[in-house]
Amino acid sequence: MQKSKFLPRGRKDRTMVLVDIRETKSAKAADIFLQVRPGKDFELITILRALIKDRQVSDQAIAETGLTREVIDDLIRRMKGAKFGCVFFGMGLSMTRGKHMNSAALLTLAAEMNAFTKFVAMPMRGHGNVTGADVIMRWQTGYPFGISFSRGYPRYNPGEFSTVDVLVRGDCDAAFIIGADPGATMPQPAIDHLKRIPTIVLDPHVTHTSKLSRVHITTAPQGIAAPGTAYRMDELPMPLKPALKSPYPSDEEVVRRINEAIAKKPFWLPDGSQPQMLNAQV
Amino acid sequence: MTTKRFILNSSRSSQQGALINVGKESPEYLALTNSMTMAQKDMAEIGLAEGQMAMVRTEFGEAPFKCESGKVPEGMIFVPYGPPTCKLMGGDTGGTGMPTSKGWEVEVVPL
Repeated sequence: MQKSKFLPRGRKDRTMVLVDIRETKSAKAADIFLQVRPGKDFELITILRALIKDRQVSDQAIAETGLTREVIDDLIRRMKGAKFGCVFFGMGLSMTRGKHMNSAALLTLAAEMNAFTKFVAMPMRGHGNVTGADVIMRWQTGYPFGISFSRGYPRYNPGEFSTVDVLVRGDCDAAFIIGADPGATMPQPAIDHLKRIPTIVLDPHVTHTSKLSRVHITTAPQGIAAPGTAYRMDELPMPLKPALKSPYPSDEEVVRRINEAIAKKPFWLPDGSQPQMLNAQV
Repeated sequence: MTTKRFILNSSRSSQQGALINVGKESPEYLALTNSMTMAQKDMAEIGLAEGQMAMVRTEFGEAPFKCESGKVPEGMIFVPYGPPTCKLMGGDTGGTGMPTSKGWEVEVVPL
């Protein structure tokens, strides 16, 4: 691990605390493992927020999280004593009861810790280039996901414009899936709607989504046979150089050719004119 | 038939991530995503043998899984994400865009 001016002994100067509902392989890499009771993340974060500000918290409230006061006091001492603390949080927070409230509480804790020392929080995304999608959407539109362009300008509303919700409600009558496999990860009602509507998939592999789609266009895999940029989890862009040649076009080329074909057709507005934003892009 | 309820958590693993690149039709990927891990004591309590198939039911759907014992807390089940877990998931995101995929209360019926 990186050695630095302020942490000359590398890993030995760092402390890793793992909080999870079960002991995973990561526990072996951690200095301290805290086994929290399932569904008690929000409670634990709220208790930490109270205790760092020396507020009173009952023993019963602490016991409900599955941890002891001694363990939490030790954690707070370490957090406040750190030169630079970083909280990595994953889908155990965002996909359980409480969802965005859990994440919001954790981000607030990280912000409040800056009254004592430097502290940040960073989401741990899943497989692939999820960070890249978030980053690009953010600098293009100002929002990371759940965006509607139906009025010609970006509007953000998770729960309304987010993929699962749009599919489950049956709002869309066509779907264009690029480099993702919702057919293997999304709730069944969303998958059922993808089966009902014309779904077009761009993917190097045959996936569960391509099996239910009307059209599957095979593309060259990014970073292997097509150039591109992947974003590391800390949002650092990594340019990818293709090592192999592929007979298939890249995702970018397919999308550009579809765009060019669409641009030749008259727009659907009654007078055939296009919204200002689309005109600027074309 | 048992009435004992368990908390099911679907999660990602490094093995699952590697197998995605091997292929989602590969026997290894299918075996992994169709397996669930439970505590030995829980399996004995509901009459499940090592490697036996069990039907897992939520309020939204059901899917069969091969049961394996592992180091997990009692009352909990862990399954890697995959097509079988999709069948157990409801479509409500609570206005967040993110469906609930962990902490489901499920019923397990040995097959």
